[in-house]
Parts: sequence; C-alpha cells; structure tokens
Amino acid sequence: MAIEKQVGYKQVVDFLSGNEMAAQAAKQINFHVMGYYPITPSTEIAEYLDEAKADGEHQIRMIPADGEHGAAGICYGASTGGGRVFNATSANGLLYALEQLPVQSGTRFPMVLDLVTRTVSGPLDIRGDHSDLYFAIHTGWIVLSARDPQAVYDMNIMAVRISEHPDVQLPVIVAYDGFFTSHQKQRVRYFADAKAVQSFIGEIPPRVTALDPRNPVTIGPYMNDPDLMNNKYQLHQAMEAARKITPEVFEAYAAISGRSYPVLDSYNMDDAEVAVFLLQSAAETAKDVADRLRLQGIKAGVISPNVLRPFPAADIRKALANVKCVVIGERGDSYGADGGPMTHEVKAALKDDPDNNTICLTRIYGMGGRDFYHDDAEAFFSLAIDAVEKGQVAQRFDYHGVTARGAGAVPTTVVKPLRKEEVELGLTQAEMTESGELKVKAAIPRQLTARPKRIAPGHGACPGCGIFPALNQFFSALEGDVVVLFHTGCAMVVTTGYPYSSHRVTYLHNLFQNGAATLSGLVEMFHEKKERGEIPVGEDITFVMVTGDGGMDIGMGPAIGTALRNHRMIILEYDNEGYMNTGSQLSYSTPLGHSTSTSNPGAHATGKMFHHKDTAQIMAATHIPYVFTGVEAFPQDLIRKAVKAQWYAKNEGLAYGKLLISCPLNWRAEDNKGNLIVQTAVNTCFFPLYEVERGITTITYDPEEKKKRVPVIDWLKLMGKTRHLTRPENAHVVEAFAQEVERRWQRLKAMHEHPLL
Amino acid sequence: MDNIKLPVVNPEGFYEIRFESIGGLGANVAGKILAESGVLGMGLNGSNFSSYGSEKKGSSVKAFVRFCAPEVKVRSCAPVERPHLLAIFHEALIKPGSDVTGGLYKDSIIIVNTAKSVAEITEKLGITAGVVGVVDALSIAVQEKSRVNTAMLGAVARACTFLDADVIRDTIANTLGKKYPQLLEANLRCFQRGYDELRLETISDSDAAEQPFTRTQPVYGYETAPIGGYIPNPGNSVLKDLSISRQGFLPQYLREKCIDCAQCDLVCPDMCFVWEAGTDKRGKPAQVLRGIDYQYCKGCLKCVEACPVQALVPMRETDGYAHEHRVRHSLAKMADEQASQSA
Repeated sequence: MAIEKQVGYKQVVDFLSGNEMAAQAAKQINFHVMGYYPITPSTEIAEYLDEAKADGEHQIRMIPADGEHGAAGICYGASTGGGRVFNATSANGLLYALEQLPVQSGTRFPMVLDLVTRTVSGPLDIRGDHSDLYFAIHTGWIVLSARDPQAVYDMNIMAVRISEHPDVQLPVIVAYDGFFTSHQKQRVRYFADAKAVQSFIGEIPPRVTALDPRNPVTIGPYMNDPDLMNNKYQLHQAMEAARKITPEVFEAYAAISGRSYPVLDSYNMDDAEVAVFLLQSAAETAKDVADRLRLQGIKAGVISPNVLRPFPAADIRKALANVKCVVIGERGDSYGADGGPMTHEVKAALKDDPDNNTICLTRIYGMGGRDFYHDDAEAFFSLAIDAVEKGQVAQRFDYHGVTARGAGAVPTTVVKPLRKEEVELGLTQAEMTESGELKVKAAIPRQLTARPKRIAPGHGACPGCGIFPALNQFFSALEGDVVVLFHTGCAMVVTTGYPYSSHRVTYLHNLFQNGAATLSGLVEMFHEKKERGEIPVGEDITFVMVTGDGGMDIGMGPAIGTALRNHRMIILEYDNEGYMNTGSQLSYSTPLGHSTSTSNPGAHATGKMFHHKDTAQIMAATHIPYVFTGVEAFPQDLIRKAVKAQWYAKNEGLAYGKLLISCPLNWRAEDNKGNLIVQTAVNTCFFPLYEVERGITTITYDPEEKKKRVPVIDWLKLMGKTRHLTRPENAHVVEAFAQEVERRWQRLKAMHEHPLL
Repeated sequence: MDNIKLPVVNPEGFYEIRFESIGGLGANVAGKILAESGVLGMGLNGSNFSSYGSEKKGSSVKAFVRFCAPEVKVRSCAPVERPHLLAIFHEALIKPGSDVTGGLYKDSIIIVNTAKSVAEITEKLGITAGVVGVVDALSIAVQEKSRVNTAMLGAVARACTFLDADVIRDTIANTLGKKYPQLLEANLRCFQRGYDELRLETISDSDAAEQPFTRTQPVYGYETAPIGGYIPNPGNSVLKDLSISRQGFLPQYLREKCIDCAQCDLVCPDMCFVWEAGTDKRGKPAQVLRGIDYQYCKGCLKCVEACPVQALVPMRETDGYAHEHRVRHSLAKMADEQASQSA
C-alpha cells in the first residue's frame, strides 16, 4: 500500500477496481494504439477503454487482434512507429504472445503491457496465480508489481516514463493479481485532470522510428554471434540503468501524487526476526497478521517487491540481514527446482552477504486462484517461528493448501458408457450414387430421439442457450462412435466443470487456437494404429471438433492447415457472434454495428466497425469436400447436412459446418426467443442455409423462393444488442449492413446457379 | 460529512456483508452500489467484489461488501465467511446441503427474497438465532418491470440502520441512470418498495449456536484424483440439480394434448425431455414423450414456443410442483442404480 501525502495536483477520490484503474491511467496517458485480445481477467481493461472511447473520453486507437500473438505483433509494429502503445493480457494469452516479448525488448521499443496474472493452463483455470508472471520475468522487460488498485494506476503512469527514458528504452510489464486486485473495488485516488499525467510522462524522447522516410532505418536485422551477445549486453545495461532510474521516477511521482513506492515494500522489517516474502495482494493480507503477531510480542515483518525486474536484490539482502527465518510464499512453481523463481532469487541475493544466516523456507500456495486467508499467512509465520525456535527445518520446500483425499467418496461409474448398439441404429444413411450424388435418408425427429444424446443433462449453460439444441440436432444424425474435441469456450466450460463432465463420448479439450491441429493428430494416430493392427479393422470413429466463432478467429491458421491437409474429421463451429465465454467481446463474426463489450455504441461510435467474417467461404476456398451452414430452426436441413458431413469425414476428408446459435444473455433477448431469432437471421439472408459439396454450391433453403424474406431490420429489432440500430441516426449503419448482406447473398445465388463458381 | 459508526465489527475492524444469488439477478451490481455508497457517500472505507469462475446466468454467485472506519486499511481479498448481514436474493438457493447460511453470527441479519413469512423462512433456513427479514422482491420486480436487485437493496438499506438510504438512491441514479436512464424510475420504485415492504423480526433464541462456516473441500485429493485431471466417469453431470436456475417459471406438460412431434426436444438446451419406446396412434413402434425431468430444467420456456399444439404451457412455479411432476431421466435412473449397486 502506498504511503500518501497531500501534494500538488487535484485528485479525485473514487471506488474502483484494478482493471478500472488500469483503464483510467490508459485514458489519461492517451496511448496512440492499443492492440489487444480478450482473455480473463484482463479483458475488462479493453472493455472499459472501448466504452470510454464511445463516449469520446480518449483517442486511443483500439485494435481487436486475431489472438494474443497478433495483438503483440500489432503492438510491436505500432511501437516501431514511435508512439505510445498499450496492451493487456493474462495466462495463456501471455504465453501465446511470449515469443514476441524478447523481440520487443531486444530491439528496444518501449511500450506498456498490463499482465493481470492468472493460472497457466492446463487443465484450464481462469483464476489468479503467478505461473504466467514467472514466464514473463525472463524476457528482458521491466516488471512492476502492483499490490492494489491504487498501485495499478500509479504504476501504469510511472511505467511510461521509465520505459521511454533514453537510458532505458525497454518495454514495461505492470503485473497485478487477477481477480484479487483486478476485480476488487477499493477506495482510490486519481488525478482530476489528465494534464497532470501528461506533464508527468512528458513528451516522448526522440528514438528510432519506422515512420520517417527521410531517415530510413533497418529494424530487426539478421544478427548472429558475436553481435547478438553485444546486443544482449546492451539490454543488460538498459536494465541496470532502469535499476537507477526506476526509484527516481517513483520519487518524482511521489512529489506530484503524494504516494511513494519503494522498490521493495518492507513492512515492520526494521527489527523483524521472522518474515514472509510474498508478491502482490497476498502480502497485504500478511501485514494484518504481522500486526497481530506484533501485539503478541513476536517481531514479524513482510517484504514484497514493487519491482521484479530489475530484481531488488540489494534491498532484499538488507531487509533480511537480521531476520532469522523467512518464508517465501510462491503462487507458482518451477517444477523440480525446489522452489519457484522467487525462492532462488531471494536465496541468491542472500548468498552475496557472507554474514547472512537467514533460514529460507518455501511454500507454494494459492495456485489456480485459491484464496489466501489470514490463517494461511498465520501458518507461514508459524513455520518461521517454529524453525527459529527449533533451530532446524523439517521441510524447506512444500506445498501449502493441498488436499490429500478429498471430501467425498468418488463413484467410479455414474452412467454406463454408450454401447455400440445404442448409437448404431440405422436411423440415418448416406449413399454415394454412381453419378456422384450423395443420397441421404434420415428418420423424423421423433424417431431420432431413440438415439441417446451424446451430451448428458446437467451442464451449466445459461437458460435458453443455443449451443446445445444445435449440437444435439447435429449429433442425433451421427451413426456409431464419436470422439469430440472442444475448444475453450462456453460449451467447453459448462460441460466439463471438474469433477463433472456431461460428455458421454470421449472428449478432449485444447486451447482455442489449436484444436483443429490437435484433433488432426488424434485422427492420424487412429488411422496409423489401425494400419498397424493395433486397433481392429472394423472399428470406426467419427471425429468432431466443436468450436465457437472465437476459436475460428484465433484458431484460423490451424483450421486452415487442417483443411489443406484434409484430415478425415468434422469441424463444427457454433457462431454466437462474439466471445461470449469471456463476457461478450466482438469476434470477427460479429456483424457491422452490433454492440458488444468491445464495440460499444455511444455518442462517438455506432457499434462494431467492420463487417462479419464469412468463415464458411474461407473454408470453402480450401477446397475441402464438404462445407455447410445450419441453424436449429431448420432441423431437417441441419440433420441432413450432419449425415453428409459424417459420410465425407469418413470417406473423403474434412467437413466444416457453421451453426448460427443464439446467446440470449449477450444478444440481450428473452430466453425463449432463440429459435425465432436465428430463423429470422436466415430469412433476412444474413445467414443463408447452403452447402458446398465437392466444390458445388447449393442453397438448401431460399427465403425468397419461399416468400419468407424479410429486411435485416426485422432481425435487428429482436435483440437488445442491436436496439441502437433501430434509431434513425444509425440508419446509415443498417443500410451499409443490408447492402453487404445483399451483395453476399447475390454472390451466393450466382454460385448456386453456376456449378463452376 | 459525519463519519458513520458501524454497529458491530469483526476483530479486523470490518462489518461484513454477503449476498447469495444466481447470475442474472444483479447481486453483483447491488453489492457495488452498496459499497460505493458507503465509501464515497458515507465516509466509510471498504471493498467490494464477487465470487468469480466462469459462472453463467442462472448459476450461484456471491457478492461481498466490507465496511470499516475510514482510517482502517483494507488488505484482505478473501471472501466473506462470517457475514454480519446476509441477503439471499434467490429462495431456491436455500435447500438441504447448501452453504448459504454458513458463518452467521447469532445476531447476524438475514434478508430473504420470498413471499413466505418470517416464521416460515426461518424454519426453511434452519436457523435459531439472528434477525430475519423477508421481502417479496420477485413480485415487486415483476410488478415494477425491473429486477430484484434494487428491491433487495432497499430491504438491506432498511435493515442496516447505519446506512443512509438517500445516498444509496443517489448511487443507483449514478450507476443505472447513466447506462439505462429509461429504467431508472422503475429501479427507484423497487428500491423504495423493498425498503418499505421489508418485514423484520428478531428470532428470540439468544443462546443459539452460531452457524459454523466450513470451506468447500474438493471431491478428490492428490492421492485420489486421476493424474492429468481426466474425468473417469463422464456423464456424471446428471447428478447435478439445475433447478436453482429457474426464476419463477417452468413449462407445464399436458400429455393429453401432445402429438410426440419432438419439436420441444429439438430446441431444449438442457435435455429435459424424457422419451421412451412405445407405439404411435396406429399401434406402430414409435418414440413417446413421457414428460420433463425438472431437475435439469432452467425454465427458459423455449419448448413452450416450439410446441405446435399447446401441450407445453408456461406456469408460475409453486412449491413442490417440479418435484411432484418430475419424470426421471433414464440417465438419472441409471445413476441411482449404479449408486445402489456400489453401496
């Protein structure tokens, strides 16, 4: 917690969370560009900034990337242009971007990245620990560590000045605890006027830019030894310069804000005999306990760095000089190393003091967002007190807070696995005729209910969720055994909340940039094992990957790779026009003008800025044997397409299907209206039902022919997310959208009519 | 501004509040409004946050508020385990085995959104001490065309006599007025009615034991969990009860009108419809709809929209209806059989 004094510029007292404070700082810094990709718990920063931009509160150019790797690329490119650049991410987002981080630091372009710390998958966990941060500290970036919402604001502002200092010129990470800090509201203060922030960060000092044609430069050359080592030594020197400059910037900031930050936050350390070392929010909890112990006459203290890179080794050495035992708590492990990075860095710092006799204990705690209570901090102090009393240590390294056996008896079987004869019912059939026409027969929906659903009841989706009707209709058409892979997304999260699973068939998950590649690997293993006689010849499995539209954004590359390799499997996309699992951010499939949490309408914005992605046509362009679209409101159409998809996946290669599904929560519609809404989307020709079979396009339901076509506004009226489009001032947006829908529809009709198109 | 004195605080100096709710009722926003009112409008210090996971609409959520004197530092990020005030936004959360009342002091205030009387709800809660309040926030919200959260907030403001209701009203106006100005009047009416219509009684048994709080333990431990985190018994989600997701309505099934067309089954997100092999009108083998397993029904009423013959109609859920009319899913029966075999 910063030490406050009343000084200088006028400040506003408010009640805000860490993410709100990050956005507040970014607004006042007025970065030129933010490249971002949503990932919990950092997503809110871009959301707040998008909302503020719609209200005209800043000029940051907000660029929704195709993934964190793309976001890091956008930021890198923008930073070479000499302006101010911002990004925010978490967990696997950071890891997906990781290879870009040394590029940024090695070529010395300043920027600010807020790392809202979260557990690295897998298994997937969205809550907070430091396993992502522990990767970030090795990338040549300066790392500031913010322990509460106030520090998030202050450090974001100071980060700009540190990073741009001519002796430093390094990118800066501002790290803070996911959820504990990012989502907890506290009493905070910020400058009333952005001018205070602007005058503190100052003009951007001159540096190399890619935007001055009169002074051309070659950025990022091919550089082997011996030059690379010298480049890295320069980076080391910059980090050492930052060691000197960071406290100077902290001090200058204290002069205008009244809030001072030492590089090492030391609490009750002057005469401490026992101490805990903790990063970020947990250190604050431990301070309460240190206070309590002091009342009992125990000399307890807490140390916690405000700066992790450069690491404040000298300050730590000094703070621990007379401490008898320190417990280093780590929210992450370096498996097999007998301690996480903090353990080794603290021990290394102490090693340089020949007189130091501090006993160092390590406890890995709070992984996966496990809460850190006062009694946890008490337990840490007790370990230290015990070690001091006994003068010896039973266990230097251990995990704190794990459970050996769990609370309940675990049933081995709850429902029996599906038997072959339950799924192989002959309710659907596909037969290729000699003329090359795939003939399909499918039982009526009533009879299809005889096939057990491959997804069991009990999943936790929102009421009225459109995912499951569409998936169930599709799966009801498939004969025989199925193995599924689900990308990260709503369908994954709500069906597999540990230790429960709704999947009656074998299911696997991978992160949503890589499911297509993962399943293609499994498909090839199946065929290879079959060829080697390790799986009986008669065995057959239909492999289905299920993804949201988000997975087809960030995972477009692997999906296209899978298509070009033409593996025998199905990719099924449920498109709800946004990243709904993370709270409704825009996807590339979000239509023009639609409101999401990163395409807010307002006085200065009209919703999403560009047209929806035509994923079906992108996949068709890879010349895979079968592409289709479907919705739950036309079940016979979808079921027939599912039968075809299965035939092609077994006999010829990849089948891809896009299902438009409703999301009542984020479309802001009544729970019971999903079917009507997707039906109307089809009837506007926004989402035409068609298939591309061996390159031949066929419209399978033509709303014009059936005299059902309605204008797009009839569809937009049905949802809260498009209510602003029904107002006269946004008529031009609706018109532009209608024109694009019409252009694509006419093009599709031409393809339908001409077999060569 | 005069500093407000908190009536009671824990050893760290905090008055702690917990809201128990399901996603979609606005407990998170209510917590934010309450905390912001205290910190920015009443001279208190404090914090506010919610339970986070990837919870969806209809699943259980908790919101937390801590108040303390202005000079006290807020350092803990841990959830509120021992609330001085507990507000239950959704009555269905009170059921055997649930932990909603965990950690109550013997003089904690408990406010429940219910049409029941204080005596009835006290019995349902299974508590013997504390101050219990009831408010029919759902009816207020339905009548005022708003959400239950502002009505609950009104009741909380009334029960917490140290809070200034006018400040909370202003915060509601600032919070909701900006984003949804058209809904502000309804929200303020809900707040007032919640305030006025709260019935509060002290339960007399003062020697009663306090409600213990136990932190949730995982089902598996590291000695018992399959390595790599795979789930060896998939399909086990049939053990879950999703009926807490319903917000007052469910589909009523009228067998005599049904033509077994399966239109309901095609649109149901929750696999609630129970089919069996039988015969059609002409005596041929055909699938027949036996009914609805309400354990999984979240009350979205998509099936009602889809039914071409009004064999499914919406009804306001009454106590016991779902239990009495539930047709058990074949997988739920299978789970029972497996359980009895292993026992």
